[in-house]
Formats: sequence, structure tokens, C-alpha cells
Amino acid sequence: MIEIRNLTKTFENFTAVDSLNLRIETGEFFGLLGPNGAGKTTTIGMLSTLLLPSSGEILIDGEPLTRKRKDIKRKVSVITQEYSMRQDMDMDEIMEYQGRLYFMPVKQIRARTEELFAFAGLKEHRRKTIRKLSGGMKRKLMVCRALLTDPQILLLDEPTAGMDAISRRQMWNLLRQLNEQGLTILLTTHYIEEAQSLCGRVALMNSGKLEEVDTPARLIERLGAYAVDEMHPDGIHSFYFHERVQAIDYLSGLQGQCTLRDTTLEDVFVEQVGKHLS
Amino acid sequence: MGIITILWEKWREFIRDFSRITLAAMTAPLMYLIVFGWGIRTTMNGQPYLYFLIPGVVSLTTMNGSFNAIAQNLNVQRLYEKAFDQVIISPTPLWQFIAGQIIAGGLRGLYAAGIILLLVLPIGTGLVFNGLSVLILFLNGAVFSAMGIVVSFLAKNHADVPRFSNYFIMPMSYLCNTFFSTDNIPHGVREVIAALPLSQTSRMIRSISAGEATNLIGIPILLAYLTVLTAIGLYFVYKKKNL
Repeated sequence: MIEIRNLTKTFENFTAVDSLNLRIETGEFFGLLGPNGAGKTTTIGMLSTLLLPSSGEILIDGEPLTRKRKDIKRKVSVITQEYSMRQDMDMDEIMEYQGRLYFMPVKQIRARTEELFAFAGLKEHRRKTIRKLSGGMKRKLMVCRALLTDPQILLLDEPTAGMDAISRRQMWNLLRQLNEQGLTILLTTHYIEEAQSLCGRVALMNSGKLEEVDTPARLIERLGAYAVDEMHPDGIHSFYFHERVQAIDYLSGLQGQCTLRDTTLEDVFVEQVGKHLS
Repeated sequence: MGIITILWEKWREFIRDFSRITLAAMTAPLMYLIVFGWGIRTTMNGQPYLYFLIPGVVSLTTMNGSFNAIAQNLNVQRLYEKAFDQVIISPTPLWQFIAGQIIAGGLRGLYAAGIILLLVLPIGTGLVFNGLSVLILFLNGAVFSAMGIVVSFLAKNHADVPRFSNYFIMPMSYLCNTFFSTDNIPHGVREVIAALPLSQTSRMIRSISAGEATNLIGIPILLAYLTVLTAIGLYFVYKKKNL
């Protein structure tokens, strides 16, 4: 279980995360959503101890997380937004280095690497140095590296950024499987459909503050499960309705191009962020 | 265990870049020896100047070899590759990371010094390099590795490490008992320069190589530098809020 209490992070005069309180249960698939600069990556940074909080604390299974707590850090793997790997190493070296940093026996590292590379389709590229890999392959390798150590908690900061649609779907399936096996996952993403498809609960962050925490279904329900898109010269205007009949009534009174559809988590996100922008 | 991991990582790096590392380690010292030792043929205290020069060049080679092995590499890993993030995230105790870097840097310095000693072997100078010399050279390399760690954590961009080298490492190369004795430097400045780690190393290595009685006060001085720089490195990895 991850418990975040009054977590604040300031950089000089800028508050990136502001009194964040959050509880993520063991085995949960949790999504952290928000526009650029909302504080998602800073939160992941503090959860991975790359950044130390200005105030507040993080508890993992009831124990405070610090850079010195190797027993707690052992439970967590992180896939950072950037390709945090030595560019001059090959894939096998990256995996061995990671395994060694987590005190795994070399034999076990090699056996697990075989499994993960076979699963991710990376075997034939294993001798390539990182700088020669495509963005998608680097992402896959980062996933393999994170899974090598059999973590209990996986933190993913935009893990599918730069992946093609097929690779992204493969990644979703993998994450689903891992979560079904009991892995606690905290995901930040810009692909809202990704969060909607994968996450049991999501949190919406904006300007460092937590705005909403709920299941995607309930957030959508709150906005209205039906959306009518109306085309205007300045763009699409969306209207939301709780009942399908209401949406159809509204639609029948419209002229010009318009459509009726199900509301998505992206609509909730856009409405929430738009509210602050307007 | 974590120290072994860091040494393994550094060993892989060494194997991968063996020829580049070896060439880089030899080029500058070899130039010094050719230009000042063989080119400008002078004597010092009745002895060929080369005999004075070799211990100094060996000492400065450990300094450069160790500092460069750690500072630039760690700077790139921290600011550009972000590979250092994985170390912070991992359960490997960060003091072991620092210790591994210092030991690896010290060994890289020794390797560089070893190459120079091999190159001057055919000259038959009769200079003595023994176990104590190896210990002092390793300690010198460890000090400059620790300095490399501190500099890489202070660096805000890629250019900061070469800049530090220009302002601090390069002047030390010339001033610290390497090409001439610090006794020739005016009083006041002399004491400051003599207290620098490379001056102490060069002095001890030179007196051992000449078979003279060696004042080993330099060892506690090097250990003091090592302790302070390591403490600063540990402060950065454990306490710095934004690594």
C-alpha cells in the first residue's frame, strides 16, 4: 500500500506538488492524470526518491520511504519518463546492472532476462548498444528492466510515450496481466484512453493539487454519460447529459453537423482542465 | 555487494573503451616526458631532469586518470543519460555507490600510472616504485575520484566539468611538485600549494623513487582530503533534494 500524506514539493518559488494526500491500495491499478506541469512526474520523482519532499511523507506498507530504506526500495520499480540508461551498454548489460543493483544472483538475472526478452521480442537486438535502439525498443527494455526484480509496486511515468499503436496495446495487455497477478501499479499518462482502459481508479491533478479521485466510470457518470458534439466554425463544442433521452432531445433541436456518443474519461479531463484555463 | 556492482559496471566500461582509455592515459604524460625530459635536456641537482620529472608525471597521471574516469562519466550519467536515477531508485546503499566509484577511480589512476611506468622502463632510470608507491598513488587517485564525484554533483551542465578541470586540475598538474619543486615558489603561496594533495603525492613518490627516507605525513593529509570529499559526496546523495 502506498500512502501519501501532505506531500509538498517546491522548487525555489514554484510549488510543483501542493499538500497531496493519496492512498493506493495493494494490488490496485491507479492512474495519475493531469495537464503538463500538474505535478505528476514530480510525484513519481518523490515516490522513487529521486526528489526529496519539501514537506509531508510517503509510506510504503506503513513504513516511511527514504533514500536509506533499501528494504522498501527493494519493493519498488520505476519506469521513468526519460530513457534512464547508459547509452554505451548493450541490453544484456543493462539488465545485469539492474539485477546487481537489486542484489540478484547473476544466474537468476540471466534466466529472468531470457524470459523477459523472449516475451518482449528483444532477443535478436540484445547485443545492440542502447544508443542504437529505437524509442519503442528502449521503452520495452525499460519495462523488462523494471520487471526483472519482481517488484511489488510499479511506478510508470508515461510508459507508452513514443510507442506505436501495436506496441502500446501489447504494453497494456502486459500491465493488465501484471496487475491481475497482484502487482500494485501507479501510472501517469497523457493517453487518457490508456488510463480509462487500465486503471481501477484515477486521480486528476492540476497545478500541483489533487482535484478528483474516483473510478473512471464514476467520474464519467458525474459529468454525464452521454456527450453531444456540435461542430462550430471555431471548433467542437461538447455537451453532456446523464440520460440518453435528454441527449437525443437536445440533438434533435440542433442544425448542422453533430454527433451523439458515450462520454469518455478524456471528456472529464478536458472539462476539468478547461475549467481552470477559462 | 553494492561496491562490487559498481566495480563491475566500471570494469565493463573499461573493457569496452580499453583502447580509448589507454591512449588517453598515455598521450599527455608521454608528451611531458618527451618535451621536458628528452627534448629540453637539463639537469637538476646534478641528475638528469627526467629523473625528477618521472615521479611527478606518474603522480599527475593518477590524478588525471582518476578524476576524468569519474567526473565526466558521472556527470553524463546524471544530467544526460539519467542512468544515475536507477542507482538512486535501487536498494543499493548509496554509500556503496560512492565507495565503488572511489575505488574504481583509484584503480583507473593506477592503471594510467602503470602505463607510464612501463613506457619509461626501457630508459633504466633506476627509480624505485614499490608497494608504498602503489598505495600512495592509489590514495591520490581515490582523492581525485572523490573530487570528481563532488564536481559532477555540483555541475549544472556538460561544460562544468571541463571548466573545473581548466581552473583547478590543470594548474595543479603544473604547480604541485610535478615539474619543479614547490621549494622554488615564493613563501606564502608555497605553503598553500604544498598542502594540495598532488604536491604531497609527488613529494612522497619522488623521495621513494630516489631511495631517500620518506616523510609520510602526506598519507594522513591525503586521507583527510578523501574523508572530507567523501563526506560531501555522501551529503549530496543522501540529502540533496533534487539530484
